[in-house]
Amino acid sequence: MEDRRIHLQLGISAIILSLLFLVVLIPNWVSSPSNVSKMILSPLMWPNVIAGATGLIGAALLLGALRMPRLATEIPPDTDDPARAYLRLFVLALILIVTMPLMPRLGLVWTTMGVSALLALLVRTSHPKTAFICAICVPLVLYAFFAHVAGVAIPQGNFVRLP
Amino acid sequence: MSFVDNVMAGLALVANIESFLALFIGVAVGTVAGAIPGMSATMAVALTLPFTFAMAPITGILLLLGVYKGGIFGGSIPAILIRTPGTPASSATILDGYPLAEKGQAGKALGMALWASCTADLISNLSLILFAGWLASFALSFGPPEFFTLILFSLTIIAGVSGDSLLRGALSALLGLMLATIGLDLIYGTNRFTFGSPTLMGGLNFIAVLIGLFALPEIIAMVWNPKAHEGKTRTLGKNWVTFADYKASFRTIVRGSFIGVFLGSIPGIGAAPAAFLSYSEARRKSPNKANFGKGELEGVAAAEAGNNGVAGATLIPLLALGVPGDVITAIILGAFMIHGLQPGPIMFVMNADIIYGLFIGLIVSSVFLFIIGTVAIKGFKYVADIPRGVLFPAVMVLCIYGVFAVNNNLFDVGVMFVMGGVGYLMMRYKVPSAPFLIAFILGPLLEDNFRQAMLMSNSSPAILFRGPITWFFWLLTAITVFAIARAGFKTIRNARAADAEAEEI
Repeated sequence: MEDRRIHLQLGISAIILSLLFLVVLIPNWVSSPSNVSKMILSPLMWPNVIAGATGLIGAALLLGALRMPRLATEIPPDTDDPARAYLRLFVLALILIVTMPLMPRLGLVWTTMGVSALLALLVRTSHPKTAFICAICVPLVLYAFFAHVAGVAIPQGNFVRLP
Repeated sequence: MSFVDNVMAGLALVANIESFLALFIGVAVGTVAGAIPGMSATMAVALTLPFTFAMAPITGILLLLGVYKGGIFGGSIPAILIRTPGTPASSATILDGYPLAEKGQAGKALGMALWASCTADLISNLSLILFAGWLASFALSFGPPEFFTLILFSLTIIAGVSGDSLLRGALSALLGLMLATIGLDLIYGTNRFTFGSPTLMGGLNFIAVLIGLFALPEIIAMVWNPKAHEGKTRTLGKNWVTFADYKASFRTIVRGSFIGVFLGSIPGIGAAPAAFLSYSEARRKSPNKANFGKGELEGVAAAEAGNNGVAGATLIPLLALGVPGDVITAIILGAFMIHGLQPGPIMFVMNADIIYGLFIGLIVSSVFLFIIGTVAIKGFKYVADIPRGVLFPAVMVLCIYGVFAVNNNLFDVGVMFVMGGVGYLMMRYKVPSAPFLIAFILGPLLEDNFRQAMLMSNSSPAILFRGPITWFFWLLTAITVFAIARAGFKTIRNARAADAEAEEI
């Protein structure tokens, strides 16, 4: 992506984010005791300063972008087939979203085995057998370390429980 | 306690198999991780961090320092063999390392990289031992106003890790500062952006943010383009570096090491500028300057001495002032905190045994680096051949376990996934993630010290100018801001001149 477009999009996003904080998030989700006499000591001050500064940086990015020259030629995309790349990203996001509710139900070991195998499939690994073996062994080895050496209570799920 | 007492106390703490084994494993893991294209020393340190929870603080921190040292050297191996720097700091090594590999002298280039790295590492560690204690004793007289001005100064030099756009770096830092405000207010204990959830009252988990920002974007980038980072490995050749080669480059190595120490001790500058400055100085002073860039062994020595000279020196501000020198030391700062330790001048008084134990461990790490580096050079072929389609799914599993293990909390895994998405977007939009992380760590310290200073003075800002130390840091901050603004205007002027020239043509 060319720098002008990057700065333009970043500048607009930063200004929107700043307004979102100043108008919605800070007034509604930052509470301050009523007996704070000076603004400088208030819990509201710091978020307001940061949100204001974000807006200023956004404006500077936007101004900078408007002063940049447009490129005559398009920069080629960094992947052979952008449509397929976006599809892969969408599938990855789906895998990660589904992982969250599955972890307490299936257990961390079985869920991560699935995540690992699906991820290897998603990138079309050239070594599917090795990837499959790793997808089984790595979660088991990590379970053994964290559960039995580090004493972490790894979620076991409702179905198959490990020793 | 005297210096000798401290050294003996440190020795008593680390003179055991467990500590040295952790250090050895750390250097080995770091070297291998640094040598894998697509992994980085930062990612390796972040992924190793969860394994230290079950260890004694000194053992865990030695493991991380080993990974750091190994990772910085490991990055030079793919730089020389496949023209892909394992870490950004190894970019200067490519300039002469890869041409040497093309001439069939990769073994010689790697050998020189190792010797230069070990020498620079030793010099850097000795500098740390000499200067950190002195700086800490000076910092003992710091109160909240002094710390506020120091941290403010540290934030201004985020410019050093902002890459080619200061505005994007500043935006990244502001996002990090905003994220750090989530949780209970430090003074009044009221809610800030907790959205009614008790899970958010303690703020966002540092490890989840860290791994999300530094490890997951690489995995997502692989999903975007699975064919990236494919390179052709060169053979090592039959020529190996000799003592005569080392002797011929010794002056360059020492000069590069001191450049690394000087730049490394200033927070925010990092290893890559040190490597390039050391390289350009070596070229300026060398009788073979015409050969630089075409396969000059002295060039490899200079670049590696520069970037490894930084490794020990970045720990000077971390240990003496509690301010991280770069992203990796920011992660190590997090490790100290997780183990209940707060680096800074007080640590030199309360935990002098740990400090001196770390110093001893660092000296030993140079020896381990030499041993492991020699083996790693010969075994690189196997490391480089690990298919990314097998490696990165395993890294994803490691991330999930590591983040969960911090608080036994699945919510943190969700935070990591979200931060991974944010980190990937930042990568796509060329927004550097290092300022984000540094601001996320320094943000609460900055706010806490500012508000404490205001409470001390009944809200009078005059306290922030109360003595020579605060004035010193204000002056440094002003100079840095001036230098940044000047460099920014110069870049804009040069760009406009180039555009005007292009239009004329």
